[in-house]
Amino acid sequence: MIEISSLTVRFGGVVPIDDMTVTMDVGVNGLIGPNGAGKTTFFNVLSGFVRPVHGTVTAFGDDLLTMPAFRRVRWGLRRTFQTEQAVAEMTVFENVLLVLEQSGATNSTRRNDVIDAVEFVGLGSLISNPVGSLGAAERRLVEVARAVVGSPRLVLLDEPAAGLPDDETAALGEVIRQIPERTGALTILVDHDMELVGATCSHAAVLDFGHVIAHGPTSEVLNSPNVMAAYLGTADVEVEA
Amino acid sequence: MSVDTRLPSILTAATPRRIVTFVVVVLIALLVLPAVLSTYWMKIMFEMAAYSLVTLGLGLLVGRTGMYSLCQIPMVAAGAWFALRVHYLFDGVPFPLILVMTAILTGLLGVVIGLPALRLSGLYLALVTLMAAGAITLLLTVVKFPNSNKGFWGFDKRVPSGQNVLPRPSLAESDIAFYRYTVVIVAIGFLIAAWHIKGKPGRAWGAIRQSEVTATAAGVNNTLYKLWAFALSAAVTGVAGAILVAGAGVTTQQFPVEQSILLLAVVLLGGVYNLWGALVAAFFMRVLPQILDKKLGLPPEVLTMLFGLGVMQVLLMQPKGVVEDLRNLGIFIGTKLGLVGRNERKALAAAEGGAA
Amino acid sequence: MPDFKPYLVIGLALGGVYAMSGVGLVVLYRTTGVLNLFYGAIGALGSLVAWQLINEYGWNEWVSFLAAILLAGVLTFLYGWILGPPLADRDPLVKASASLGFALILLGFMQWYWSTEVRTIALPTTNWQYVRAWLNINWTQAIGMIFPVVITILTTVLLNRTKVGTGMRALADNRDNSALLGIPVRKVEAVAWFGSGIMFGISGLLLASLVSMEIAALTFTLPVAALAAALIGRVESLWVTLIAAFVIGLMQSTLGAVSSVAQYRSTTPFVAAIVVLVWFGWRGQTSRRIA
Repeated sequence: MIEISSLTVRFGGVVPIDDMTVTMDVGVNGLIGPNGAGKTTFFNVLSGFVRPVHGTVTAFGDDLLTMPAFRRVRWGLRRTFQTEQAVAEMTVFENVLLVLEQSGATNSTRRNDVIDAVEFVGLGSLISNPVGSLGAAERRLVEVARAVVGSPRLVLLDEPAAGLPDDETAALGEVIRQIPERTGALTILVDHDMELVGATCSHAAVLDFGHVIAHGPTSEVLNSPNVMAAYLGTADVEVEA
Repeated sequence: MSVDTRLPSILTAATPRRIVTFVVVVLIALLVLPAVLSTYWMKIMFEMAAYSLVTLGLGLLVGRTGMYSLCQIPMVAAGAWFALRVHYLFDGVPFPLILVMTAILTGLLGVVIGLPALRLSGLYLALVTLMAAGAITLLLTVVKFPNSNKGFWGFDKRVPSGQNVLPRPSLAESDIAFYRYTVVIVAIGFLIAAWHIKGKPGRAWGAIRQSEVTATAAGVNNTLYKLWAFALSAAVTGVAGAILVAGAGVTTQQFPVEQSILLLAVVLLGGVYNLWGALVAAFFMRVLPQILDKKLGLPPEVLTMLFGLGVMQVLLMQPKGVVEDLRNLGIFIGTKLGLVGRNERKALAAAEGGAA
Repeated sequence: MPDFKPYLVIGLALGGVYAMSGVGLVVLYRTTGVLNLFYGAIGALGSLVAWQLINEYGWNEWVSFLAAILLAGVLTFLYGWILGPPLADRDPLVKASASLGFALILLGFMQWYWSTEVRTIALPTTNWQYVRAWLNINWTQAIGMIFPVVITILTTVLLNRTKVGTGMRALADNRDNSALLGIPVRKVEAVAWFGSGIMFGISGLLLASLVSMEIAALTFTLPVAALAAALIGRVESLWVTLIAAFVIGLMQSTLGAVSSVAQYRSTTPFVAAIVVLVWFGWRGQTSRRIA
């Protein structure tokens, strides 16, 4: 379980995160909202790249904000970015190993852990190929493999399906859905693809102007008039049932 | 394709082809060259061997970690300085121990230079290292190389001036013997570098070069690994300095700032990514000028011009859309020269063909 | 208290020379995004060509100096004209590295064509002196001091009041949009390249006359103070660059009066640049944001 309490981020006059309070449980949690709502900034706070001026983040009983950024990986934080992280010349195996060995895994299980993670995302046959030679969808799967290797506790997926065609998005969604079962991690998925969010997330929270305006089971949230208003920008919305 | 389930390290990278190539090259250097080349050319080969440690060091910083340092030549001078100082400080210390101590001291200097440079990258890092190079070079002309144990700097005005020379180890006193000794040291240096590159540090460096932010998100301690790269690069370069003192002696005029720029040029031209590129770069720097001079009558200054032209050409030819990273040039050139392995070629082809 | 007076004039004169190149560097960087690292080499080439014309071909002094300065301007302009567009969208490090490559070409050429004999070049202005009490100043030094101030004023006026200057400021701000707004990008850049080249040429001549004509010194060691000053000005502010250059020149010179550190004084510009770069680097990073 992760508790975010009164989180506020300020960049000069801009307030990307404004008194954000939400609690999420283990499972896949969607985080949606219009562009500029503060979703990536929120991830940056969790990653340790942005320091909030106020608020706390407690994950599995640990105060995340007091840890230096790279140490959070050792704690169990994993994250994908909208830009690519994997090193193109290294193989899939090496890229996944990189994350595992930096997270403090012991020697004896490393080899198997990497193979497990790669097979979990379905790239087993490409494990010795350099990441640079893979297609876009496969590269996204490498990022997911890096996110689930070892014993992650908090997995942040930042628009993993951006730019992917429907069938590859669905395949990715299948993998994401199985993350909690495989790792026991709390996963937060940010994406604009509502079908993907609907298919993978048990719960969802909606961020608008840095503030949580809705939170609950995904289907409720996706049909909520508040959410539609936030996306469409209208004050009152009549929803046809 | 069967999966190699050993963890990637220097052992897994040591394919039969690579082992054989390595052994053959070392054997040629040890046995064939002294047999066929004249004394003059053996001196040149000695310099090439010593400088290949320098290019290796720079390749580690530039090619692997993506940090552009223009301060490498002063590190050679620093290594030479440390070696001489240690020699005069502790009477009768064996040569291998001098090398080890030089490596450690120069490595520490590398860390000292690396610390303020931690928060800098790209152009700013290059500029800071260029400035540091200038400062150290000037400092050297004032402080001079040690020739005694007098005072902190070990410089005694009364000792007649001449080239500073370090006594060679007793088992390698002749020129040819010391050359062979050097080849062995260089081979060890390359193996140490390969061990790093193919193992955990190398993977972390690769991540840092790609993007410091995503490296941190992968759990890499950027500070630690950057300093490690600085330290290793400096240590290897310092050893080269010590070897040069013992092999040929050094003067304070030998390390001007333009040499650092030339070094970066040849490392870029030689291919920064590949370990063999370090040898190619050392060849360009030490052997090629002599060949052009003696065989074609071209003065070495013309080669400086050609290097400058080469650098500009190579920078311009960079395929559009590839991630802005001069390391890719090394792969590009290496591909053209046939030095680059299958994996790297695939990756470059994909990067060139794919979207920006 | 050591006597600094003999060092003041030289310090200010040198500082002024650094300032001229520094101003050239700043204007060029702001307009084109290129941190030109061959400016010293261009100056050195200019002075060598002037020397050649005067001593080997018997040309008139003033004509030779003018020719040298024009050569510097033209060569710098040609570099920018030919290499500007293909490198325009590249990382500043790549652009600076290319200029370093050009510096190597120039350096190699100079070392090849002009052997390492000791040369001197004497600007006729050095002969006209003004002596009063402790002040002993010749016109070359005076030019070194006054000219850069004049140049900085003129450049500031240029940037703020003329079309070309406005174009330069627009380019510095946003290159792509400038083209869309109808600003003649290539023309404006050409002015920046040529103008800065003229500055580098003048600096080179003055340095050759005031200090030495040793090729490596003239290419790297001496002019580096200009780069240091430009960096202190964040390659942005002309006036900070000017003041920084004078300060560096003064410090470098007056340290000669303090015997304990006198021999280290030539490291002044390097140390200054390092301190500034590291300080800006550490400060900049703490406020950096991840998009």
